[in-house]
Amino acid sequence: MDRWLLISATLLAVFGGAWGMVSVHRGNRSRWTVVWMSAVLVCQIAFLSLRGEQRAACPLADRGEILAFLSWSLTLFYLLVGPAYRISLLGVFTAPVVVVFQSIALLPGMLEWNPQEVAGGNPWHETHSATSVLAYGALALAAVAGVMFLVLDRQLKEHHLKSGLFRNLPPVRELLVSLERLLWLGGGLLTVGIVAGFLMPHDRSALGHLIAALAVWTGYAVLLAVKSVRGLTGRRLSLLAVGMFVLSLGVFAFV
Amino acid sequence: MELICLGLNHKTAPVEVRERFAVGAPKLGESARELIATTGVAEGVVISTCNRTEFYLVAPEAQDAFNRLEHHLAEKTALLGSAAPHFYRMEKSQAARHLCRVVSGLDSMMLGETEIFGQVKQAYQAALDAGATSNVLNRVFQRAFGVGKKVRTETSIQEGSTSVGNVAVDLAEKIFGHLKHSEVMILGAGEMSRITAQSLVSRGARSIFVSNRSFDRAEELATEMGGSAVRFDDWQSVLERVDIVISSTGSPHAIVHRADVEKARRARKYRPLFFIDIAVPRDIDPAVGEIEEVYLYDIDTLEQLAEEARSRRQKQIEECERIIDAELEKLNLPGT
Repeated sequence: MDRWLLISATLLAVFGGAWGMVSVHRGNRSRWTVVWMSAVLVCQIAFLSLRGEQRAACPLADRGEILAFLSWSLTLFYLLVGPAYRISLLGVFTAPVVVVFQSIALLPGMLEWNPQEVAGGNPWHETHSATSVLAYGALALAAVAGVMFLVLDRQLKEHHLKSGLFRNLPPVRELLVSLERLLWLGGGLLTVGIVAGFLMPHDRSALGHLIAALAVWTGYAVLLAVKSVRGLTGRRLSLLAVGMFVLSLGVFAFV
Repeated sequence: MELICLGLNHKTAPVEVRERFAVGAPKLGESARELIATTGVAEGVVISTCNRTEFYLVAPEAQDAFNRLEHHLAEKTALLGSAAPHFYRMEKSQAARHLCRVVSGLDSMMLGETEIFGQVKQAYQAALDAGATSNVLNRVFQRAFGVGKKVRTETSIQEGSTSVGNVAVDLAEKIFGHLKHSEVMILGAGEMSRITAQSLVSRGARSIFVSNRSFDRAEELATEMGGSAVRFDDWQSVLERVDIVISSTGSPHAIVHRADVEKARRARKYRPLFFIDIAVPRDIDPAVGEIEEVYLYDIDTLEQLAEEARSRRQKQIEECERIIDAELEKLNLPGT
């Protein structure tokens, strides 16, 4: 049942993204993308609730669950941030990322068929896992906003202003403001995750993971500090937001 | 009962003729009521904008109504004899079709403009409030508004800006969103700068700085726009705070160089900066556009974008006409 919920969420995201892309190609803004993505969120919540019940803990015990939780977090922040900043086109860019994460989660070996209860659960451990993955949702959305900025920046620089995508992309300044707020939100959540990570009981095998987490946190902290104190061009901020997100995902895939 | 339309517009009459028949917005209702009283027709609406004056009437017999209306106008303006060739006369379905074209912006000087829709609505409302309309005109106008909306939503007749000034303002909004947080600097107090800056102010731009070789002229324009004048030697210092720069000096060589902008970048914290160069020869060195956060548009690029929008609108005319014909066929309007 849980697997079918995740499959449904993935198919809904495929449909929402495709619908949005066709609308944008025709020069219209797809207001339905928000609806499709809301349906995606409902399926994701149902999936995570079922897994959480089976685990009797936060469902972050295998890679499939982590990716599903990350997709949920990404969708949640899109719905919270998107309509508020009138950038529903963010959904068209978010949907493919959700599809990729959830498709990987559905690959054989990623999700345990019969999830077992997590023995000896610790509240700091759960806080660490949950806030860290939530943070990655916000940081993933910041990366999505960064990609949108890079597309718009290129079109404005090269004077290619005829496409439906150009007409529907939000203004440069709004994108940069959203991107920065998402980085602060992700950075804040990541800080809580790191603190909880130090407070949870851990053995020597977790050292690599903690060092990687600290490195990622430091990277984002430096980025936000430089942006606030010195300032950064939109292009560099976007490239760094995208680059750091991809890099940090890569780091955790191996550490 | 038959629907008729008598009118003149920018295509059929020069401004010196149009202005004689113009009716101010506050007098539209009164004018429609007077028309009914003096010509003996059943219903009437008077539309008057800077580009057209049109009379829509419902009468038992079209030719008789035209004669009475022309007589009424001749008495009012003492001009109709010489103005007669400037008027167009339309009856029944032709008049309804014309109204739909007007409402859709197809008969406007700037093809697809949206202002006309509101102006016709205002004229109809005035006539309605004055008790000058009844079954036929109420239905014809309401249907025309429906057709106008359909044309605008189902085609791209109103998409894109068709003037250099509007293209520049649209681009500014694409970069900065709402302009209420944006500051503008004008280099050179020429007419084009003034028009473009006025468009930016009308869309909410917060403050304007005017810099000109003649400081008196800068002060004059700054006062007119509610902004501040800046000495021409000091414009670089203002660059640190503004978001948009409009340049239109008569200088024979570039006055804004890459080094000028590079100097201000740190203080600006690398925020986006939009340069609109409408001078010929160009005021802004093209190398300025290579700076990451700078968006540089010169007069040729802006004109090309405006021309593309005009051409896109032209291509939509046929589709708009098809929608109007199809809708009118479906509606079977009274008086047509």
